[in-house]
Amino acid sequence: MQSKRLGWILLAPTLVILFFFGVLPFIYVVYVSFHQWNPFAVNPEMVFNGADNFRQIVFDPAFLNSIGVTVMFVFFAVLSELILGYVLAQAFMRDFPGKAIFRTIHTLPLIMAPIIVGSVWKLMTTPSIGIIPKFLDEWFGITMNIGTSAPAAFATVVIMDIWHWTPLVTLTLIAALVSLPPDPFEQAQIDGANKRQIFWHITLPMIAPAVVATVFIRLMDALRTVDEVWMLTGGGPGSATRFVGVHIFKEVFPKTNYGYGSTISVIVLYLTIVVCWLLYVTMLAPRSKKD
Amino acid sequence: MSDQHHAPLATAHHEEERTPTTPERKVGFLPIETNWFDRLFISVVIWIALSLFWFRFLEPAGLSIWIANAIALVVAFIIIRKG
Repeated sequence: MQSKRLGWILLAPTLVILFFFGVLPFIYVVYVSFHQWNPFAVNPEMVFNGADNFRQIVFDPAFLNSIGVTVMFVFFAVLSELILGYVLAQAFMRDFPGKAIFRTIHTLPLIMAPIIVGSVWKLMTTPSIGIIPKFLDEWFGITMNIGTSAPAAFATVVIMDIWHWTPLVTLTLIAALVSLPPDPFEQAQIDGANKRQIFWHITLPMIAPAVVATVFIRLMDALRTVDEVWMLTGGGPGSATRFVGVHIFKEVFPKTNYGYGSTISVIVLYLTIVVCWLLYVTMLAPRSKKD
Repeated sequence: MSDQHHAPLATAHHEEERTPTTPERKVGFLPIETNWFDRLFISVVIWIALSLFWFRFLEPAGLSIWIANAIALVVAFIIIRKG
């Protein structure tokens, strides 16, 4: 009983912080999502409009397009980061000359603020001064202009995200791989299992919790990407990189439409929770035994 | 001698009492083991999805959103009781 009380006492500071900085703002956003509210208009009062914002959102082509673009971005970016991160983690498990330096350099993007990453990539991809369009033109004869080409802009944003966040995946997967016991691998080798069988039947099931946790983190981050994309493309050209975070930003700040912006935020949070929950259920949740 | 034999059993008894209790897991028609909060969560997820679907496809045809809410309530009751 005493240890239970001690547990609650130790948890209390976290719970209080979580309540004031997580739960209360969430409740407020849900409250605002049921109102029409433009605080800079002639009438700055909140006007309750029931579920009208939610009625509007399911017919809003800009929002639906932003969801589609975001899903594509998340799919390509997170999948690439996972595969590349695993390959790099396996590489770092072996010894090779310059491993320590390479590992440090490889981790550097993680310490950069997203807004800086966006600015650097903006400089690197601007046609007149950027190093990437220059070399693409000189070596392959490809003209790259992310200001006019939608596929180029989208691909650049995905590559930028992969460059920025793959080290995080690598670090978490290294931690998972290091903690694996050697016995199952030795036994599998004695039984004649090849590398592919060892990966699918031993390594992957044993690191599955770490993989799922990493995917959760990257999924949640990628779904609310704003600053990097805002700096690099501003959501353009057209709506090619207008991800849902950028869409919310444009709806709330330039248009000062706080009620509708909150509604979009609530729906995005809902989609994020559902996707993460489905991922958890399919990969980790205990199955019920029906005899 | 007999005290020494009884000592581990007594310790085990105390440890058993201190073991933290886990929430009740239930096996219902859902394919995963759930507690009551999991089933409430699933019900809310279904309620929101049904409401958005209703707004998009059925309300324009004249069906009130209150029908969706009633259906969601029934589904929630079934999931929480038997899920």
